[in-house]
Amino acid sequence: MNSDHKMQQKLRHEAKALLEQDKVDLIIGFEAGSLKFTTTPLITKSKDDLDRLVINPFIVNNLALFLPDFKGRIAVASKGCDSRSIVSLIQDNKVSRDDLVIIGIPCPGMIELRKVEKLTGKDRDELDDIIREGDKVVITVDGKGSEFPIAEVLSDNCLACEFPTPQDYDILLGEPTATSQESRVKSRESRVKGQGSRVQSHGEGGGLQSEASPDSRLQTLKAMSPQQRWEFWRKEFSRCIRCYACRNICPSCFCKRCFVEESEPRWLMPMPRWQENLMFQAIRNIHLAGRCTDCGGCERSCPVNIPLRCLTKEMYDLVDELFHFKAGMDKDAPPLMTHYEQEEAEDLIR
Amino acid sequence: MGAKLNSEWEPQLLGFLCKWCSYGGADLAGTSRKKYPPNIRIIKVPCSGRVDPLFVFKALQMGFDGVLVSGCHPGDCHYQTGNFRARRRIAITKKFLEYMGMEPERIQASWISASEAGKFVEVVTEVTEGLKAIGPNQLFDEQRP
Ligand code: SF4
Ligand code: SF4
Repeated sequence: MNSDHKMQQKLRHEAKALLEQDKVDLIIGFEAGSLKFTTTPLITKSKDDLDRLVINPFIVNNLALFLPDFKGRIAVASKGCDSRSIVSLIQDNKVSRDDLVIIGIPCPGMIELRKVEKLTGKDRDELDDIIREGDKVVITVDGKGSEFPIAEVLSDNCLACEFPTPQDYDILLGEPTATSQESRVKSRESRVKGQGSRVQSHGEGGGLQSEASPDSRLQTLKAMSPQQRWEFWRKEFSRCIRCYACRNICPSCFCKRCFVEESEPRWLMPMPRWQENLMFQAIRNIHLAGRCTDCGGCERSCPVNIPLRCLTKEMYDLVDELFHFKAGMDKDAPPLMTHYEQEEAEDLIR
Repeated sequence: MGAKLNSEWEPQLLGFLCKWCSYGGADLAGTSRKKYPPNIRIIKVPCSGRVDPLFVFKALQMGFDGVLVSGCHPGDCHYQTGNFRARRRIAITKKFLEYMGMEPERIQASWISASEAGKFVEVVTEVTEGLKAIGPNQLFDEQRP
């Protein structure tokens, strides 16, 4: 029995107990998705559904998204980044801690199918199984299993994750994740050194290389001139179809009415021109300052593979650099934008 | 914003000035007949804290070459804390849009009190010079150079 499986058993058990003892009205977790190696949120009031709860390396969605939509007491399964989004929602007064039972998943990181496909040269439909064993992953193709370091297939945001163990929880499903982050990065780096040109280009991401180290895409961008960067984003956003998947999947985009739908005044036109697309994403990121926990949901959800994490991660780093603020770390701290220090950021002002 | 890149091009600067301090400073510059570049168009806002990052972005998207947000000095805000909040907003807006590729010169902020007509003249002059140096805002043009 691997650790995912153990956590899954414990999750089902705890969820059942919570419903039976009438401690919560609703359970929010994950169940198997309709496609192989996917999961979908499970939201239920019924004990009978709880055997469908799963924990595996594909529980990518940030379940904090659903919390403001439901009334009553809720138990929610939560990875490191999700828990910070929950704390952030508490800071913003969108949910109350008293109504929540947070079932913490000490997170070993999420596996990116795209990377598995690249690694094995197989389509996801041709893969029999992907099992995580500690810091290895066993990928079975045609009945033959091969082992790889887990860092080769983890999501970019998981490779960069600072706090894989939930910040706040009532129940923890396993031992806190030893800051495997550094070891992940290390093993990744040594691999990259050893294999030279193995790193390939990232989807349609405008020629940006996929992670050699977690922040390499950002560094590539920062090394460009402003004109080159603007041109890069112009190109990227000319693909955007303004489906708003990135916004709709985001727990921090909790507005009942988003500025993009405002008509008095109308800030932007609905037509997906790059100018408007870029404005949407720039302002969205400004709204997310101090809220985004780098869960990577937006980039995963984008149907045209715009490297959205290159924006969210920059904002994440920026608020830390300017105001020493990290989103969702302390439920009693005031939200970033409602607070100030007497002396800060003065060098930007004449 | 019409004619671009011809020799007569003059930068267009949009100023969001707070009613209590910076607008007073601009007014004083006028009544004391100080000369400052006519490139600035002024929108009076109740407080620098009223300035939404959207306003800044929208102004640039509409074709202004630069935006100046100006309020009372820290500690002097008529509403006590408005300019402190504005400072956080301006800081992330400026830094983030620079990261996306806007020139730093285009997004400017200052603290100007109602008695600082001289500082108003100085800031508008400097900002206008900076904009002249980097040239017209073509960020949102369909065909970019
Ligand atoms: S983009 Fe901004 S206005 Fe729209 S939902 Fe997100 S936070 Fe709200
Ligand atoms: S998910 Fe991608 S295509 Fe859809 S609105 Fe967001 S950036 Fe545009």
